[in-house]
Amino acid sequence: MNKAMKNNLGIILFLTPALVIFFVFFVYPVFFVASTSLVRWDGITDITFVGVNNYISLFKDGTFIKSVTNNLKWSMSGGFIHVPMAMFVALLLSSKPKGWKILRTIYFFPNIISIIALSMMWMAMYNNEYGAVNALLRAVGLEHLQRNWLGDLHTAFPALIAYWIFYIGYFMVIILAEISTIPESYYEAASIDGANRIQQTIYITLPMLKGIMGTCITLSMVSGLKQFEQVFIMTNGGPANRTTLLALYLYKQMINYRYGLANAAGVMLLTFGVIVIFTIKKIFSTNKIEQVG
Amino acid sequence: MNVELKGIGNSSKSAISMRHMTKKRLLGKIAGKTVMWCILLFFLFYTLFPMIWLVISSFKTNVELFDNPFSLPKVWQFQNYKNAFQVSGLAVLFRNSIVISLCATAFNLFVASMAGFVLARQRFKLREAIFVLLISGILIPVNALMVPYYKIITQIKLYDSIFALILTYGAMGLPISVFLVRGFMKTIPWELEESATIDGCNFYQRFFKIILPLSKTGLITAGTFQFLLSWNEFIYAMLLTSSTSSRTIQLGIRYFSNQFTTDYTSMYAAIVISIIPSLTGYVLFQEQIISGLTSGAVKG
Repeated sequence: MNKAMKNNLGIILFLTPALVIFFVFFVYPVFFVASTSLVRWDGITDITFVGVNNYISLFKDGTFIKSVTNNLKWSMSGGFIHVPMAMFVALLLSSKPKGWKILRTIYFFPNIISIIALSMMWMAMYNNEYGAVNALLRAVGLEHLQRNWLGDLHTAFPALIAYWIFYIGYFMVIILAEISTIPESYYEAASIDGANRIQQTIYITLPMLKGIMGTCITLSMVSGLKQFEQVFIMTNGGPANRTTLLALYLYKQMINYRYGLANAAGVMLLTFGVIVIFTIKKIFSTNKIEQVG
Repeated sequence: MNVELKGIGNSSKSAISMRHMTKKRLLGKIAGKTVMWCILLFFLFYTLFPMIWLVISSFKTNVELFDNPFSLPKVWQFQNYKNAFQVSGLAVLFRNSIVISLCATAFNLFVASMAGFVLARQRFKLREAIFVLLISGILIPVNALMVPYYKIITQIKLYDSIFALILTYGAMGLPISVFLVRGFMKTIPWELEESATIDGCNFYQRFFKIILPLSKTGLITAGTFQFLLSWNEFIYAMLLTSSTSSRTIQLGIRYFSNQFTTDYTSMYAAIVISIIPSLTGYVLFQEQIISGLTSGAVKG
């Protein structure tokens, strides 16, 4: 009795800090964002309830719509180009060619460097006058393709996506580890039945990767929704709002003291997150938060 | 394979046709290998080329950079690195980032290890519900919470202090840390704790003397992730601080283009310097990062 009571006290004592922090930084903010998305709040005049007016303003705002479609493109590129590419490279590396560990290490580099530093680096790469991209085009005789990549209406957004989409290290490492957990005996049995490597990949490896692919696509798409730094540093949403994203839109509303509108955008951001999670979960039905051990 | 073929020899027709077949297969294999290496090298080039270009550019004069972006520096301009330190105040930026990242990591691990211990090794009602609730935070896009975070931090009077960032970063990484630490603690054999209980260890002693020391690997993994999050974070560093004295390295990089104006190559030197600590950390803690990613860690 006494001992059990002591344990209960310990449990409460040990859980309280985590729960308090979680409520202050996750639960309360989500409710805060949701409830204040229904008010007019500029930091000066009184807060007034305006119902769904903020949402109506959002959907009438071309910049917001552009942010949503851009975010959609960004997330889709992440989930359906970036992750499959990572899977493909993981499949190649799973045959353990010479130096695969070094390749794995180097592919992971961009995930260690801050997005801010990477953005500055790619701004230099894309620079009109001395950037490496234009210099590279000159070097291979494609002078006519040179342009101000981030200033051009047509290339600014693709250029932003192009820079991270080939940085496959993060998901490659996760998928590669999953491949290594597939029992060797499956492949042995298949090769006795006469299946070659490609057939083994299609009929054994790929089906076994369904769960992890769902997870990776979800992670990639949700992180696509969060993106801010690249556009903030490299284009600030321009030219002509071509590269605006939801988080940037939210930020711009906030620093202009349109808190209600900012939070309505925040709610949309959270909603898209939930939609992504449930859609992908449905498609890759095995995906759930797994517990280690 | 070739040796085997020789062994079979030219003795019969079937052997010849077999040899023909294997030759074809061998060619196919070589072609496959070539394609594979082209792909692998493309990604290698894409990852390394911009970095190497930036490093080389950071040793050039601006005239050289404009003249030919691909040339090597005639004289390696170590002066650029000196400029970088002088112009950007890198020392303060580094100091702030190191202090903030270390404190946020310590704070985060302290909270996460206690919660992880209880959630992994104690039986009580609502345990699973609390666990799922806590780790649901992994999938919340925290950038949607800019306004409330700003309001909370100003409310508790931490605005523009490094404590604002220590608290915020520690909290942001809590769900993933709880997930990682709990997962690791679950793998520690029960017998150890049982025998400690028999020896008269109470709840706290079991945590501090047995489970915590045995969880070192798990804590290092979670700590590495938390440190990287704190080191690389940008938005909340920008929103929650304003003065240069509490500025982090990431925020500092943003101002480089104002500070260096047209001295691009010194700015690149500053960027290179800012990258070095995280890359060094990665090379040192590579195993932890990879195992953290792969122990089912981010199967969120």
